[in-house]
Amino acid sequence: MEQKDLPIALGTEKIGKLLMQYAIPAIIAMTASSLYNITDSIFIGHGVGALGISGLALTFPLMNLAAAFGSLVGVGAATLMSVRLGQKDYDTANKILGNVFVLNIILGLAYTVVVLSFLDPILYFFGASDATLPYAHQYMEVILLGNVVTHMYLGLNAMLRSTGRPQKAMYATLFSVLINIVLNPLFIFVFKWGIQGSAFATVISQTAMLVWQITIFSDKKHFIHLKKGVFKLQRKIVVDSLAIGLAPFLMNAASCVIVVIINQGLIHYGGDLAVGAYGIVNRMTFLFVMITMGFNQGMQPIAGYNYGAGQYARVTEVLKKTILSATIVMTSGFLIGELFPHAVVSVFTNDKKLIDLAVDGLRIVFIFFPIVGFQMVTSNFFQSIGMSGKAIFLSMTRQVLFLIPCLLILPTLFGVKGVWFSMPSADLAASIVSVFMLSSQFRQFKKHAAAQKLESL
Amino acid sequence: MNETFVINIGRQLGSGGRQIGEKLSAEFGIGFYDKELIQLASKESGLGKEFFEKADEKSSFSFIGGLLGLRTNINNEVYVNNYLCNETFFKIQSDVIRELAGKESCVFVGRCADYILRDNPRCINVFITADTEDRIKRVAQTYQLSLDKAQELIVKTDKKRAEYYNYYSNKVWGAAGSYHLCINSSVLGMDQTVAFITQFIKQRLK
Repeated sequence: MEQKDLPIALGTEKIGKLLMQYAIPAIIAMTASSLYNITDSIFIGHGVGALGISGLALTFPLMNLAAAFGSLVGVGAATLMSVRLGQKDYDTANKILGNVFVLNIILGLAYTVVVLSFLDPILYFFGASDATLPYAHQYMEVILLGNVVTHMYLGLNAMLRSTGRPQKAMYATLFSVLINIVLNPLFIFVFKWGIQGSAFATVISQTAMLVWQITIFSDKKHFIHLKKGVFKLQRKIVVDSLAIGLAPFLMNAASCVIVVIINQGLIHYGGDLAVGAYGIVNRMTFLFVMITMGFNQGMQPIAGYNYGAGQYARVTEVLKKTILSATIVMTSGFLIGELFPHAVVSVFTNDKKLIDLAVDGLRIVFIFFPIVGFQMVTSNFFQSIGMSGKAIFLSMTRQVLFLIPCLLILPTLFGVKGVWFSMPSADLAASIVSVFMLSSQFRQFKKHAAAQKLESL
Repeated sequence: MNETFVINIGRQLGSGGRQIGEKLSAEFGIGFYDKELIQLASKESGLGKEFFEKADEKSSFSFIGGLLGLRTNINNEVYVNNYLCNETFFKIQSDVIRELAGKESCVFVGRCADYILRDNPRCINVFITADTEDRIKRVAQTYQLSLDKAQELIVKTDKKRAEYYNYYSNKVWGAAGSYHLCINSSVLGMDQTVAFITQFIKQRLK
């Protein structure tokens, strides 16, 4: 996020054009991230088997948590960086870069040490069975050893974005996905390294990109580069970065906890294959959610600027267009999931039992997707106009607040189907809440606009 | 003194910093900018005044504040700017300050102006304090508060100003090393303090 001067075009250019302009890079980047996990799942599903996918699915919360820690520093530091660049304070900016570097090494190693020491108990708690544990363990072992790389890669990507090189960050993401896609089949099918092969592919692809990032940041010609003296940790930078990054981190951590609860429910009521089925369904959900989140990110500057400038008509317009785009995306997902679930799931696995479970699950989870688009955009809308509290609340309703009671109650009534039904139930409830909050907000807008008219008389 | 110069005044609440700034601007016949900056920033950017007012010299950096303030982004990977955030308001305001300082001599009150103009060789950075009793009395009078409430306001405001300054600048608010001159306005009284500072400035600019 570079703190460039306010582009006045935000207030004058056609909304549709602006939305595409801002959303597309975000969509590409976020979809690429989700493709990462999808490719791992596909190759493991075919190369290692149904238990392999189940084992992999167990590790998702750990990996998300690792990524969340990785972003903890990056997100905060990116904000600090843009302040410094806005003030042309390159000395402090370079120190921020150095601190990100070192802090990520420290956090990465700490996470590795802690999780590795308790890996098996953690995996059992996450829903592993004796059958799936070896797969999950082998996979995580390699991932954890490479965790430092993941952290640093994510952190430096954030630095690339905030120092005005978002395209390079996007390339880093894209190329790491591509390398992963190439190495996965090589390691699994040719070298026969099993599930660890997939983990190695992930780590190696990120290492390659990390090396590239370090080369970029070693270029002395750019005003922000790594050099002697910037690596000393400065209390102010560390504390401020962590403080800023804490909120998104906690949101992320909360959704990890939810996945753990879901997996626990699934293993209890359904068994290993149910966990694997959810892993597949989750990956597909993620894909469509990421595209929608790309649109959300595109909406943010447009809605934010125009709200700040009091141009409420444009705010409403961008909101409508984003809701429309998101709904189209999520409805496509809905149609694919409901009409062609077999085809979708077969991409991941050949195992008949797993396919059946995943197809059932997919159909259930995707039921309310057409309105989830609206819910997600509404939550982000509040974020864009500065009402973070409401945004977080709405996001939590869908991911945590309604989900937890459903997950606790429904399985006791409906068994494993209860676990699956919890998700669309939460979707529906959250969407209803969004409708209320949004209409209430718009009533306030109208009052405000009317008051403004009176004032200007 | 034909070239332009800038006087930046950092101040504790109730120390009389604003008054001193006004008197200095009258003394030298130069512009005075305190809350006026908000109006200018709003005009310059097209963003509403109320946003700059809310972000003015306070920032919520505690956990809860950061969560609910204008800063939190719930996405992990942010590819696009959110312009409606405190950092943007600061940047806009800082651009206004730089523009003004480039055109004419002026007095700026607070808002990290000393940091923003740190590369300007003709800056005089002053920090105004006062005895606690005087500050409480002044605040109680200005804001029509009881002495207790005035004291509360002083503690709260100073804390917010310090957080704001420490976050946006690379210096420490109220620390002697951040300024050219730190002075307690209670010692000499308002008029004499202004005279003292004026003398300091004149000598500095020779």
